[in-house]
Amino acid sequence: MAIGLLKSLMRSVGVFLAATLITFSMMFGNGPGIAKAVLGLQASAEDVQNEVVKLGLDRPLLVQYGDWLGRALTGDLGRSFYTSESVGNALAVRAPVTLSIVVIALLLTAVLSVALGVTAAVRGGWADRLVQFLSVLGTAVPAFIVAIGLVFAFAIAWRVMPATGYVLPNVSVSGWLASLTLPVLALLTGSVASATQQFRSAVLDALGRDYVRTLRARGMAERYVILRHVLRNAAAPGLTVLSLQFFGLLGGAVFIEQVFALPGMGQLAASAAQISDVPMVMGTVLVTIVLVLIINMIGDFAVFLLNPKARIR
Amino acid sequence: MRRIHTKALVVTVAALALFSSACTSGPATTPGGASSPAASAGGEKDQLTLGMTLDAYGWNPANQPGYQNWAGEAVWDNLARCDGNGKLTPDIADTYEITNGNKTFKAHIREGMKFSDGTPVNADAVKASLEYVAKNGGSTNDYKDLKYDIPDAQNISITWPSAQPVMANKICSAKILPAAYLAAGKWDTPVGSGPYTYDAANSTTGSVLSFTKNESYWDAANYPYKKLVLKVIKSDTAAVSALKTGQVDATLVSQSAVNEVKASSMDIIQMQSNTTRLLLTDHLGKVLKPIGDLKVRQAINMVFDKEAMAKNLYDGNAEPTAQVFRKGTDAYIDGLQDPYPFNVDKAKQLMADAGYADGFTVELPTMEGQNFETLMPYVSQQLALINIKVKEVPLSGANAIGDLLSGKYPVVLWQLGNMGNSALQIYIESTPEGWWDLEHQKDEYVDSRWEQIKTADEATSAKLQKEINQYIIDQAWFAPMVYMGYNFAYNAQKVSIPTESDQEGLTPKLRDFK
Repeated sequence: MAIGLLKSLMRSVGVFLAATLITFSMMFGNGPGIAKAVLGLQASAEDVQNEVVKLGLDRPLLVQYGDWLGRALTGDLGRSFYTSESVGNALAVRAPVTLSIVVIALLLTAVLSVALGVTAAVRGGWADRLVQFLSVLGTAVPAFIVAIGLVFAFAIAWRVMPATGYVLPNVSVSGWLASLTLPVLALLTGSVASATQQFRSAVLDALGRDYVRTLRARGMAERYVILRHVLRNAAAPGLTVLSLQFFGLLGGAVFIEQVFALPGMGQLAASAAQISDVPMVMGTVLVTIVLVLIINMIGDFAVFLLNPKARIR
Repeated sequence: MRRIHTKALVVTVAALALFSSACTSGPATTPGGASSPAASAGGEKDQLTLGMTLDAYGWNPANQPGYQNWAGEAVWDNLARCDGNGKLTPDIADTYEITNGNKTFKAHIREGMKFSDGTPVNADAVKASLEYVAKNGGSTNDYKDLKYDIPDAQNISITWPSAQPVMANKICSAKILPAAYLAAGKWDTPVGSGPYTYDAANSTTGSVLSFTKNESYWDAANYPYKKLVLKVIKSDTAAVSALKTGQVDATLVSQSAVNEVKASSMDIIQMQSNTTRLLLTDHLGKVLKPIGDLKVRQAINMVFDKEAMAKNLYDGNAEPTAQVFRKGTDAYIDGLQDPYPFNVDKAKQLMADAGYADGFTVELPTMEGQNFETLMPYVSQQLALINIKVKEVPLSGANAIGDLLSGKYPVVLWQLGNMGNSALQIYIESTPEGWWDLEHQKDEYVDSRWEQIKTADEATSAKLQKEINQYIIDQAWFAPMVYMGYNFAYNAQKVSIPTESDQEGLTPKLRDFK
C-alpha cells in the first residue's frame, strides 16, 4: 500500500509541474498586452515598455516560470499585477469561501446521493422512477438557473435568506450558514442528481452478485446485507464518483459565486484569467491543483482501505 | 427494507437541517452590515452601502479605476477637485490660480490637515505625490518634467514645460499621499486625508470594503454618512437582487435590468456618460481607403435611424444626437440640425458618387460589456444597406483594450464618453495625442485650433471648441447615434443623489450621495 501511495504522490508532483507550466506558457508572450491593461487607456508606449520590464514579463518563459516556482515553494506567490494585493493573502481569504461551499455541498451530496441511490435500487418501483426522474431533471437544469430561482424564492419573494454576500464564521455562525445555504443548494442539485444515478447503478450491480444471494439464503437480515456488504462493495465506484463530483463542484462554484456575489476563489480565478493577472492566476491554479491532487489521494487511500482487491494490486 | 428507507429519510432530513437552521437565522449581516435607514442627529445618516460592479482595485494611487472609484474618493484627496463640468473647486488647496499662460498652478494648502497616519498634508506631500505618478502608472506623461517651487509648507507652484489646456484634469486626477508612505510602496492599507478612513476589521478583501467617516474632514458636511460600505457585486442579476432586498442602497445596472428595477419601486438616474457612435478615425484612409473619403463617412452617418435606435434598442432611455459633445458644454452647438438624417437612398447615392457603390468590407471589433449584443446586429444590418459588409472581430482578455486602441481598426463601434469638460474630450478623441483618436492622424484645422486653445481664455476656448465640433461634424469623423448613459439605480427612500459631480458622467461621486 505504501508503494502505491508513493507512486500516487510522484504522479501528483508530475501533474503539478505539468499543469503549472502549461498554464504559465498560455499567458507567456503577452507582456505588452498585460502592461497596457494594467496601466490603462492613456499609457504611452514608453510607459508600457517600462511596465513590462517592471513586471518581469520581458524574460524568457522558463526563467519566469522558474522564478515563480522557486518563490512559490517558499510560500511567496507574489502580488497581483493590477491591485498589488498579496496573492497569498487573497487566497487565504478566498479559498475558504469556495471550500466552504464545495465541501458542504460534497458532504451533502454524499449523504443524499447514497440515501436516494440505495432507496431507488433497493425499493425499485415508484421510488426508483421518482428518483430517476428527479436525477434527470437535476442534471438537466443548470446550477445558475437553480440559483436564480432560489434567490427569487427565498431572498426576494420570501425574505428569509440573503440574496448575496458572505459572512465570516467568526463574525456570525448563523450568518455564515445563511450566506452559504442558497449557494450550496444551487450547487448541490446537479451533483446529487448525477451521483445518485451512479450510486443506484453501483448498488444494483452489487445486489445482483452471488454473495448477496448467498447471504440472503443464509437468512441474514436485509439491513445487515445492505449496510455491511452491498454498500461496502458499492463504495469504491461511489468514492470515485464523489471525487469527480468535487472537481465538478469546484468548476460550478465559479458561476455560483458570481450569482451570489461570494468572494470565492472561482470568482478570483475567472477575473484574473480574463485580464492575465499572472501571479493571481498561478496562485489559484496552484491551490486548485493541490486540492484536486489531495482529493485524488484521499480517494485512492479510501479505496485501498475499503477494497482488498485494490490493496493486492 | 422499510427500516432502510426510514433511515435514508432521516439522513436526508438531517442533511437539510443546514438549510432550515440557516433559514431561522434570517438574512445575514455582512461585514460592514446591511444598511440601516436610521439617521443620527445633526443630519448625519448611519450608513451608505454601494454595490460595485467591478473588482476592488487595491491601494496603489497610480493604478486606480476610472469609475466607481468610491474607495479612492473615500480615502484620498486631490490638490483640487473637478466638478461635473471639469472646473476646479477646492480640496486640499483652499485657494489656487492658473498662471503663466496655462503652465503654472499655484496653490495654498489648507491649514491643519493631516493624513490618516498623522503626518501633515503639506507641499512636500503634494510634490511627492505628483513625482510618484510621473514615474508610475499609465499617466506619466501628464506629470513629466514638472518644476516645483515650495516657498513654505503650505504653498506650492507647479509648472509644466508647456501650456496645459486640460491642466484641471491633471490636477484633479492625482491623489495626494504622504511622501514616506509613497516611498515605502506598500499598498496593503490605504493612507490618505479623505472624508473616510478604511476600516480593515470590517472589510473582506475583494468583497466588502468598509470605511468610517473622518469627522475632522474639511468638507465633512458634504458626506452625511457615518459609515460607507462598498460591496463587490459584479453580476447584474446579483446586483439587482441585492438592491431589491436592501443589501445595497445603490448600484449600476444594465440596460436590460432597468424595467425590472423600476418595477421594484427603485429610482434610476441615467448618467450623461456616453454617445453611441461609430468612430471613423481613419479619416485619411490610411488603414482602409474608402474611410478616407468624406462621402463614404457621410453615407455611413445616414444609414442609422437614430429615433428608432433610441426607442427600440434602448427602450426609450436614449436621445438621438447629431454631435458627440454633451449638452451645455463649451463645444456643444445649440440648435444643430442633423446634417445626416436617416436616408438610405441618399447614402447609396453618396457611396456611388464616391465610387463605392459595390461597397467594401470593414472589420468591427467587439468586446464583452459594451452592449454589442444589442447594437451590432443593427449596425451590421444598416451598413449592409449600402453594401458595407461587417466582419466582427471579438476582442477579449488583457489584449482587448490594447488591440482596440492600436489603430488597426479604421472603424470602431463604441459607447464613448461625452464629458462635462469638452476640451478634455477634444484632446482625448480628436487630437493626435488622444488615445481615442485611434489612428492619431494630424489635421491642420483641428490641430491649429487646439494649439490656440492651450493658451486661450475661457471665451476664446469655447469659441474654438465649437469650431472644432462643427468641423468634425462636417467631416463626419464620427457617426453619432444617441446619447445614452449608464443606469444608476438607487433606493430613494434611503438615498438621494441631487448632484452629478463626475465630469465623465459615469457614476455619482461619493459627495453626490445625500
